[in-house]
Amino acid sequence: MYLSKRRLTPGFIKRAALLSTVLLVVLFTSLFVVFWSIQVVQNAKYQRLAMRNITRKVDLPAPRGLIVDRSGRVMAENRINFTLYLVRENVEDLEKTIRRASFFSGKSVAAIRQVIAKYRKYAMFYRIPVRSNLPQGTVVFIQSRQEEFPEFEIGIEPNRTFPLAERAAHVLGHMSEVSEAELAGLDPGAYGPSDRIGRSGIEKQYERFLKGSKGEQTVIKNSVEKVQQVSAETKPVIGATVVLTLDLDLQRAVEDLLGEESGVVGVMDLASGGILALVSKPAFDPEIFSREMAGAEWQAIRDDPRNPLQDKFLQGAYSPGSVFKIVMALAGLQEKLITPAHAQYCSGSQVFYGRTFHCWKPGGHGTVDLFTALQDSCNIYFYNLGQRMDIDTIARYARMLGLGEASGIDLPNERPGLVPDSAWKLEAFRQRWFPGETISVSIGHGQLNVTPAQLLKLIATVALRGRMPTPHLLQRIERQGKVVREFSPEFKRVDIAAEHFEKVVEGLFRVVNQEGTGRAARIPGLDVCGKTGTSQIITKENPQYKRLTKEKRFMPHSWFVSFAPRQNPRLAMVVLVENGGDAGAIAAPLAGQVYRKYFADERHH
Amino acid sequence: MKDTIKYFDKLTFALLLTLALAGILLVYSAGHSSGETHYLKQVAWLGVSLLAFVAVFSLKTEFIFRKAFIVYLVLLAVLALQITVGGTVARTRSWFRLWGIGFQFSEFVKVPLAVYLAKLLAQIDEVDGRAYLKMIMVISVPVALIVLQPDMGISFILCGFIPLVMLLKKVRPALVLITVLLAAAAGGIGWHSVLKPYQKERIVSFMDPAQYKDSTGYHIIQSRIAIGSGGLAGKGYLKGSQSRYQFLPARHTDFIVSVIGEEFGFLGVSMLFFAFFLVFYRQLRFKHQSDEEFYFVYLFNGLVLFQFLINVSMAIGLFPVLGISLPFVSYGGSSLLSLFIGEAVIFRIKINTYLT
Repeated sequence: MYLSKRRLTPGFIKRAALLSTVLLVVLFTSLFVVFWSIQVVQNAKYQRLAMRNITRKVDLPAPRGLIVDRSGRVMAENRINFTLYLVRENVEDLEKTIRRASFFSGKSVAAIRQVIAKYRKYAMFYRIPVRSNLPQGTVVFIQSRQEEFPEFEIGIEPNRTFPLAERAAHVLGHMSEVSEAELAGLDPGAYGPSDRIGRSGIEKQYERFLKGSKGEQTVIKNSVEKVQQVSAETKPVIGATVVLTLDLDLQRAVEDLLGEESGVVGVMDLASGGILALVSKPAFDPEIFSREMAGAEWQAIRDDPRNPLQDKFLQGAYSPGSVFKIVMALAGLQEKLITPAHAQYCSGSQVFYGRTFHCWKPGGHGTVDLFTALQDSCNIYFYNLGQRMDIDTIARYARMLGLGEASGIDLPNERPGLVPDSAWKLEAFRQRWFPGETISVSIGHGQLNVTPAQLLKLIATVALRGRMPTPHLLQRIERQGKVVREFSPEFKRVDIAAEHFEKVVEGLFRVVNQEGTGRAARIPGLDVCGKTGTSQIITKENPQYKRLTKEKRFMPHSWFVSFAPRQNPRLAMVVLVENGGDAGAIAAPLAGQVYRKYFADERHH
Repeated sequence: MKDTIKYFDKLTFALLLTLALAGILLVYSAGHSSGETHYLKQVAWLGVSLLAFVAVFSLKTEFIFRKAFIVYLVLLAVLALQITVGGTVARTRSWFRLWGIGFQFSEFVKVPLAVYLAKLLAQIDEVDGRAYLKMIMVISVPVALIVLQPDMGISFILCGFIPLVMLLKKVRPALVLITVLLAAAAGGIGWHSVLKPYQKERIVSFMDPAQYKDSTGYHIIQSRIAIGSGGLAGKGYLKGSQSRYQFLPARHTDFIVSVIGEEFGFLGVSMLFFAFFLVFYRQLRFKHQSDEEFYFVYLFNGLVLFQFLINVSMAIGLFPVLGISLPFVSYGGSSLLSLFIGEAVIFRIKINTYLT
């Protein structure tokens, strides 16, 4: 029973049927044409695009170049590192996978979740690095049961390793992962996320040589069998080998001699300015940065008051103490303010500008000339010389001799130290220079501060009678057996007459060989010349001075700069023992032992 | 009963069943790489749909048309209720759960609306001002309710009834003009106040997919790559890299055509299209007993064709991605059920002549 009556005419119904058929034919024909065009005519183009979707480029990391000593002994190399990767695409049960990843890597479940979250935006087939330095046992376990763990892949990559652990750590430097911010400024072909880069020492200085060039693999995933198929490959190229001037035997000996003390020893070959041994203590094992370091381990190193991460040779700032008397003597002679015979009476103390200044020897040295003043390190002599020379002249000579500016050694992050003068005082304190301050500076105290690198350069210049070497660690760089860069020694003439150097050398000879302050460095048959120095931690004016300096941490730092032999000198050396106390008792004998070791070895060879 | 079996359009029914079964296989392929089991639910829904088919098929057509207005009112009430108290699944309130099963209720509007519109059309000689107003109201009230849920895909499809009505009945030219203006106005209002930014982006990205290749334009590009790379014969079942490596979005719903295109190539797509063509052609060949029946068959077939065309155009980037599934094939139980109910009415209408 229908509510409506039939109003549709047969004509209308016929027309509707006809029109709908025509419409259907037209529509479906157009669809066939469009799909034919996309699927058959343009097939090649879309197949290429689909292929581009499933092929992926895999970086093959290049091993880093070696760092070796002058005789080719390896100081930094590469070790095979196994990295655990997780491929989300192959995950069956995410929770199970997370538990497995946690078990294999030794990381917490929460940490694994975090890692996965970090790569959320990457494609499903992206290899998420879960942990590097996977233990061999785990690698074997996973690889032997690969069918059970399809979501895990083991990557084999070269990783930096330092076989000598803490030895020469500051010279070699360390590496760490590049940050996302840094990546923006780096060549994307050379560095990617999770790549490591040299952060200090030679690793940083010669990064561009040490870094090899990455290889690349194009991998096609066959969707049926899940087999990876390599369609193209460029092999990675190992980085260049950096040959250092270091002598590993001497380096070892020096480190062992310094023992548990904090301090610095630098030994230079005077023929070239090449560094033979360079020790900064305490040191660290650069490899801790290649491992995934625990927070606590990192904090312990960073907060250690003895500052193991700092390369004291380049970055420590110390008063030169009496070592500065070398600069004063040269300046006095060159400025013709003194002659070697010039005599000065030392009573143990003297008043300058209304303030009493002391010699280190309470009873005084009596009458001293330049030679005895250096030999016994008489303060009164140099106070008087300083009083006759204005601060700007002192500063000029100090700078001429390499203080107050980087030594130019081929290591990064070097500090310039500070040579004060009147212009600096005006700038820094908006105050004029007081003559009384000059008195302190003339024995190496006051605002003056230097790095051990600068004092090594200074004593080398004295040894070479005014030829100033640029210290350096690089001997040469070799790429596939070919030398691509070789260091050529650089010397600069200092504007002080050679005869004046000769006089100072006489004084330094007496320091060691005529019962001077450095007599503990004396070696029969080897004319060692040197100068001691003491850098106070607390001033002698401190009423607690006597009591406090019984504690190691308040004891003064001890310097000993030296070279040998006197004629045709071969080696220059700086020794700094932090909180070492009397320089003659600790720094000087240490230097003596180093010379003995070096020249004894040489005789054997 | 014997006559029923004799005159039942077995070929068309077999085609529909084939489409639905093919859909299950494709849904399996689409979800297989990511371990989804949508296909199992789809199997269950097909079962339910077939039962519903039998039930509706056994109803007398007069009964269906007599109840049209009541069913229509109930529908509006449920839609309104959903907006006020409905749960939220994937940013929309278009789903509601009943006995633990998720229903996309807006899908069920298609058949009753077609029935009611058919009845209205049968009662008038031509679409004059009053009839026009009534029909626009009848269509736009549920559409508006569904827009509020919001489910843009189904609202858009339902709007397809408006041109269908105007094709089936004599309409004054002025009203055609008014409709065009109204559509433009609705589009403008929709753009500014109804569409969410992500929905707008889908439409904008359709116009320039390359510019949006990392977001929504990406879908269009990847879908075209899937279809284009399928070639003549396709990459084989379960072997489509676009689908397997999840470059294709909404593989089991909006972009199921891309899965067919990639895995079965032009031949597969052609077979699919030919099956659809046959279904439409055969479902429009019938003898009716009343005008309501005539209008219903055209309205419902027209709507399914509209949805089919929009979905296929979407897959090849000829239409913005709106969330419109391929009838009978795409994953979606409510859609399948609703379509089989509509087809059941058509089958019934077609067989009526022979049974009386």
